[in-house]
Amino acid sequence: MTRLNDENLKKVERALTEAHRLRQEPSLGADWTFRVMRDIRREAAGHGQSMMFPGLDRLVWRTAAVAAVLALVFTGSVLFYTSRDVVDLTALLSNEVDVVVPLSE
Amino acid sequence: MPGHVAAGCLALIGVQTLVSDDLEIIRRVLQGEIDSFAELIARYQQHVAKITNRHVPSDRVAEVAHDVFVRAYTSLSSFSGQTPFEHWLSGIAVRTCYDFWRARRREELPVSALTTEHQAWMDHVLAAESDDQFREEARRQEATELLQWALGHLSAENRLVLTLVHLDGYSVREAANMLGWNVVNVKVRAHRARQMLRTLLLERKRQEDDTTQR
Repeated sequence: MTRLNDENLKKVERALTEAHRLRQEPSLGADWTFRVMRDIRREAAGHGQSMMFPGLDRLVWRTAAVAAVLALVFTGSVLFYTSRDVVDLTALLSNEVDVVVPLSE
Repeated sequence: MPGHVAAGCLALIGVQTLVSDDLEIIRRVLQGEIDSFAELIARYQQHVAKITNRHVPSDRVAEVAHDVFVRAYTSLSSFSGQTPFEHWLSGIAVRTCYDFWRARRREELPVSALTTEHQAWMDHVLAAESDDQFREEARRQEATELLQWALGHLSAENRLVLTLVHLDGYSVREAANMLGWNVVNVKVRAHRARQMLRTLLLERKRQEDDTTQR
């Protein structure tokens, strides 16, 4: 049984470092490459647009805030200018319901 | 021209050719020739496997290396070409390993337990008198398992920094570049993580000594 003083601790650390460096190198193989390429083709099919225009994704994010504000303004103005029409339409629909002749007559 | 200088020049020309080839392949991939990406995989799969093998368990290396190349492909348009592709890819590999441990931490998988053989290994190392004996002990399975046990007690951040700086031997600046963190953060973490490793080993040894004395 050996006490773990500073010098001994350094020796254990050195052995662990050596163990880490001696780890066996893995080999990935042809099947692995095939699977990676299959996933990349799938990815490309999904994101084909952004790969064809490099930097487009960054441009989209940079303009996202402006786009969101414009969308809000547009939605607000549509609601504001059409609210009167909606009321008229509702009234028209309710009148139509009122004038429907019951089937029993 | 002396032989070693000529060999050095040829090696440099070789590296430069490889770098310009990489840029040409990347240009083709970005223009839609996706199959050209297989050339980059063939060139760098061993490099990526080597990095991932140092950070994740052996049975997960293929899966993590797979993720590294898919990530590299999806962010290929952000590759500026100012650094060699190999360096850029190394950063992605290290960050993918970091994400692997962060996800694993969330799953809260149990850390493997140590046996009396692991405990005895430390005594064997300390008793080793020659370099050969010392290396023989380092090659034993118990060494790797003890290291994994200790790393398993660290956070994903500390684990990664400890592995890069103290085990792989990268400088603090190199590790910071790979991780995309600032140098001070890596330096502080490297120091803290090493202290934690030492505390773990000391506690382990103390427990072992207590058990032996009883």
